[in-house]
Amino acid sequence: MLVIRGIIILHLVSFCLATETTRSVSMKTGNQLAVLEFEGWSISEPLTKFLTEEFRETIRELEIFQVQDQGLTNEINIFYPRKKNYWACWSEDCAIDLGKRLKVNYVIAGNIQKKDLDEFLISGRLFSIDMETLIDEFTMNSSGITDSLLLEMKKMAYNVSGLPVPDTLSVGTDTSEVAITGDIKRKRQWFKLPPIPTKIKALMMSTAIPGSGQIWVQRKYPGYGFLGTEATLGMAALISYYNYNKAWGGFEENYSSYQNGTDPHILEELRPKVIQYAQESRRYNSFMKSIRGVAASIWIVNMVHAYLVAPSDDYFDGEYFFDLEYNPNVNQLQFNFNF
Amino acid sequence: MLTSYNSILTFNKIKLFGLCFILLAFSCEDADYDLDNPYDPTNMDLDPPALFFHPPEVSTNLGESISVEVYGLKLDSSAGAHFDIRYDWGSVTVDSVVPGPFFTGLNDPMEIIVDEQGILDVFIYFLPDVNSDQSQSGTWSIATVYFSTISRGESELLFGPNTTIRDANNERLTINEYGSGYINVE
Repeated sequence: MLVIRGIIILHLVSFCLATETTRSVSMKTGNQLAVLEFEGWSISEPLTKFLTEEFRETIRELEIFQVQDQGLTNEINIFYPRKKNYWACWSEDCAIDLGKRLKVNYVIAGNIQKKDLDEFLISGRLFSIDMETLIDEFTMNSSGITDSLLLEMKKMAYNVSGLPVPDTLSVGTDTSEVAITGDIKRKRQWFKLPPIPTKIKALMMSTAIPGSGQIWVQRKYPGYGFLGTEATLGMAALISYYNYNKAWGGFEENYSSYQNGTDPHILEELRPKVIQYAQESRRYNSFMKSIRGVAASIWIVNMVHAYLVAPSDDYFDGEYFFDLEYNPNVNQLQFNFNF
Repeated sequence: MLTSYNSILTFNKIKLFGLCFILLAFSCEDADYDLDNPYDPTNMDLDPPALFFHPPEVSTNLGESISVEVYGLKLDSSAGAHFDIRYDWGSVTVDSVVPGPFFTGLNDPMEIIVDEQGILDVFIYFLPDVNSDQSQSGTWSIATVYFSTISRGESELLFGPNTTIRDANNERLTINEYGSGYINVE
């Protein structure tokens, strides 16, 4: 019986992992794209960030590439802990190296330069990580300020995706049919939730489904480990519950007959059955409790692990809220707590 | 199409994991029981093999019919029995006696009843068949006695000294204890 249960659990786990493997292979040979934050020359950092994110969003909406999330792309800080200058990665070698570390198929690096009072030059490079080469280079001029810059970034997104730029964007200075920066800001003031730090997001995901936070931050093996372990324990609990339910059903039926019975012959036959079913239900319940204890411990470890392995965000790290980080000066892991 | 298939797969996986994780979150009730049924032979404080009346106490009204079973507790296999039953013949009268399953094999048992002034003699014999020449062992009803109540009061049911059970070799079986019964007519 135990061998059969083991085989069933093994099959179920391998089925789950097999479907994941198939999916990850198809993603790896496909179109994962990381957009490094654009470098801003003579323009403000928040504007550069905003334009980069709009660029990412536009490419994502076009559905040609699977664009990596901002938080994950910024994880590159871990590999290059230089303060806010990793975008200087303009050469092929550097971009390919970063792309491999980020586990994507394509990388876009770029910059926005202020040439004149109202004139901007936007440059971007698309690198293929699989082919280890520069695929395309884009340059666009903008004569407006933010609205025009936004349009140019959107146009560049269409160019990068290999799609024709729609007329609404080609009009150039005519911004009447597209959202301007001011509109977007006004809308987001109503609907935008406060940004959730990547660490908290990973923690929440792993709290909901163990391992999912780790998988999301590209720590796939620990993620699948936690997921598989919890799933296996869950399956063991399911099998125990099935057996418990069977024993409990037998107990209830026989105990009810025993309580209401009047025939000594039948009562004598029911007595050992009641004792047997009660012992079985206790045994399976005790097993379920043990599984619950183990699973809860692993679940908590999984949550802490998800929080620790998730990358810190720039706006989050050390500025407000709380964070765990290693301080090399005192050679200790420190808990930072700020408002 | 591929997307929707993947969505279904993902949804099914989430459901499976969800079910497993929900199961992890709770445990179930432990079986709590009391085996205190008064008709359970274990609760009768009789030393087997024994004979007893079931039910041991009967409350009834005047003019009504009642039945009391003669029961054997953990009896060995036997071929015939003589029950010497004493009752208050001023309070109840015997209507009939019906053999129980103890002596019933492929054939119905043979019975002889003699009812005389408060002494009921019941002779029951197992009729041999192709399978066996004596009854099965265990706790079984041997016979059911039907009484009618004729006056108010309490009367006792007892096994007399002539009560015997014999096996197929005509050897007497040992009975360690005899139970008693009460009939309360209101």
